[in-house]
Amino acid sequence: MQLRYVFTELGQGLRRNLSMHVAVVLTLFVSLTLVGAGVLLRDQAGLVEEKFGNEFEIAVTLCRDNDRSNPACAAEADQAQIDAIQEVVDASPEVESSRFETKEEGFEKLKKFYDADYLEGPNAAITADDMPQQIWVTLKDPQRYEGIVSSVQGLDGVAAINDQREAAEPMFETINTLRDGSLLVALILVVAALLLVANTIRLAAFARRKEIGIMRLVGASTIYITLPFLLEALVIAAISVVLAGGALAALIQFGIQGRLADSLEFIPWITWSDSVTAAIVVGVTGPLLTLLPTLLLTRKYIKV
Amino acid sequence: MIRFEKVTKSYPGTGSPALDQVSVDIEKGEFVFLVGTSGSGKSTALRLVLREARPTTGRVYVAGKEINRLASWKVPRLRRQIGTVFQDFRLLQNKTVSENVAFALQVIGRSRTDIRNLVPETLEMVGLDGKGDRMPDELSGGEQQRVAIARAFVNRPMILIADEPTGNLDPTTSVGIMKLLDRINRTGTTVVMATHDHGIVDQMRKRVVELDHGRVVRDQAQGVYGFQH
Repeated sequence: MQLRYVFTELGQGLRRNLSMHVAVVLTLFVSLTLVGAGVLLRDQAGLVEEKFGNEFEIAVTLCRDNDRSNPACAAEADQAQIDAIQEVVDASPEVESSRFETKEEGFEKLKKFYDADYLEGPNAAITADDMPQQIWVTLKDPQRYEGIVSSVQGLDGVAAINDQREAAEPMFETINTLRDGSLLVALILVVAALLLVANTIRLAAFARRKEIGIMRLVGASTIYITLPFLLEALVIAAISVVLAGGALAALIQFGIQGRLADSLEFIPWITWSDSVTAAIVVGVTGPLLTLLPTLLLTRKYIKV
Repeated sequence: MIRFEKVTKSYPGTGSPALDQVSVDIEKGEFVFLVGTSGSGKSTALRLVLREARPTTGRVYVAGKEINRLASWKVPRLRRQIGTVFQDFRLLQNKTVSENVAFALQVIGRSRTDIRNLVPETLEMVGLDGKGDRMPDELSGGEQQRVAIARAFVNRPMILIADEPTGNLDPTTSVGIMKLLDRINRTGTTVVMATHDHGIVDQMRKRVVELDHGRVVRDQAQGVYGFQH
C-alpha cells in the first residue's frame, strides 16, 4: 500500500486544524493527568490501609516473650490463650470476620515499609522473632467497636488493642475525597475531550470532503480513507499521554518523594514502582478516548 | 455488463419513486446515452450502478455481480472497475494535472512504477500531453474535463460513467470531449452517459435510453434525442 498520501494528509491535517488539535491535547492532557492522579491516590490509600488497617479493622496484639514493658504479659501467648481470645472474638456480634497473623507475616509486612538494611543481616534491628502475633478483627460497623474492645481487653495473652482507626480515618477521608474529586473532574473533562475530538473530525472530514469523495469514487478502501484520521487521533493521544505522564512523574518525583515523604515519614508514600498501574491506565485511556470517537464518526462521515 | 431488473428506487418522504420498474440491459463495449428531463431518474440510475444507493426493489447487476447484495467492504473493489466523470469536473485544485490523475492510482495502492507509466500515457491519450505540471485553474473547462476523464480512465475501468460531462462546456469543446469518450469506448470500455444535449445525441447515433418520471419510455439503438424535453 502506498502510504505517502496518508502521511502527507496526516501532516496537512495536523497543521490545518492546529488550534483545534491544541485544544484537544490540552483537555486530554489535564483529564488524563487527573485520571492518573485518581489511580495514584487509590494506590496511596491502599498503602496506608496496608500499614494502618482500614477503618473496619482492629488489631489485637498478643504477648511476646520478654516484653518487659508490658505488665499484662509474662510470657509469649500460648495456643490455649490464643484459642480463648479467638473464641471471644468470633462470638462477638460486632465482628464480621477475623484472621490470625503470625510473626513471619507481620515481619513480611514490615519489610514493605522499612529499608531492608534494618531488617536483614546479622545486626538486624528487628527480626521475625521480635514481632508480636496479632489477630486482625474486621468490624461490621466501624462505629461500633466498644463491645469487642472491652471484652477482649484484659484477657490473658493480650498485650494491647491497636485501634488505629482514629489516626487513619482523617487520612483516608482526605485521600478518598481527593481521589473522588479528581476522578469527577476528570470525567467532566473526558466528556469535553470527546466532544472536541468529535468536532475536530467533523471539521477535518469537511476540509477533506473533495478528496474523500474522489477516493470513494475511484475505489479506495475504507481503511485507507480512514487512516489519516486514525493516525491524527493517535498522534494527539500520544502527545497527551506523554504530557500527562510527565506531569504525574513530576508529581511523584517532586511532590511526593521530594517533599511529603520527607516531612510525613510515618505514612508510607507511593513510589515509582507503585505508579505502573497509573501509567497503564493513562496509556490506554488516552488512545481509547481519541480512537473510539474517530472510528465511530468516520464511519458516519465517510460512508461507503 | 450492466443489467437492471425491474428496479424501483423510492426515496423516503417523496411521493412517486425516482425509478419505477426499470429493466435495461447494457452489453460490454456499448455506448449508451441516458436522456430525460431533470428529475427523470438519470442520476439515480447512475448512483445505483456505483452502489452509492441501493434499489428499493429489483436487482442491479454490474460486471456479473448482483451489487445490491455486495458486502460493503467489497464495494471499493467494484468501483475500481468503474470510472466516473461529472459535469463539475471535481478536480483537486491544490494538485497539478499529473497529481490529480496519479491520485486515483495512489489511493488504491498502485505501485509507483505503474503510476509513472500510466499517468503520462493517459494524459497523452486525452490530449493533454505536456500539460501535466499545470494547475487545474490554469486550464480551460474542456481541458479540465479531459483531466477528469484521464483520472476516471487511468485505471482502465471496464465501465465509464459520465454524468452530463458536457453540461458546463460550449458546443465546440463538447464535440472534442465526445470524440474522446468515443475513443475510450472503442478500447472496449462500456460508456454510459447521462445528458441533456440534443446535438450530441443526434450526432453520435448511439443507443438511447430515455427516462421519464422514473420509467423507461424509449430504448432505441442508434437513436436521437427525441421530441419531448
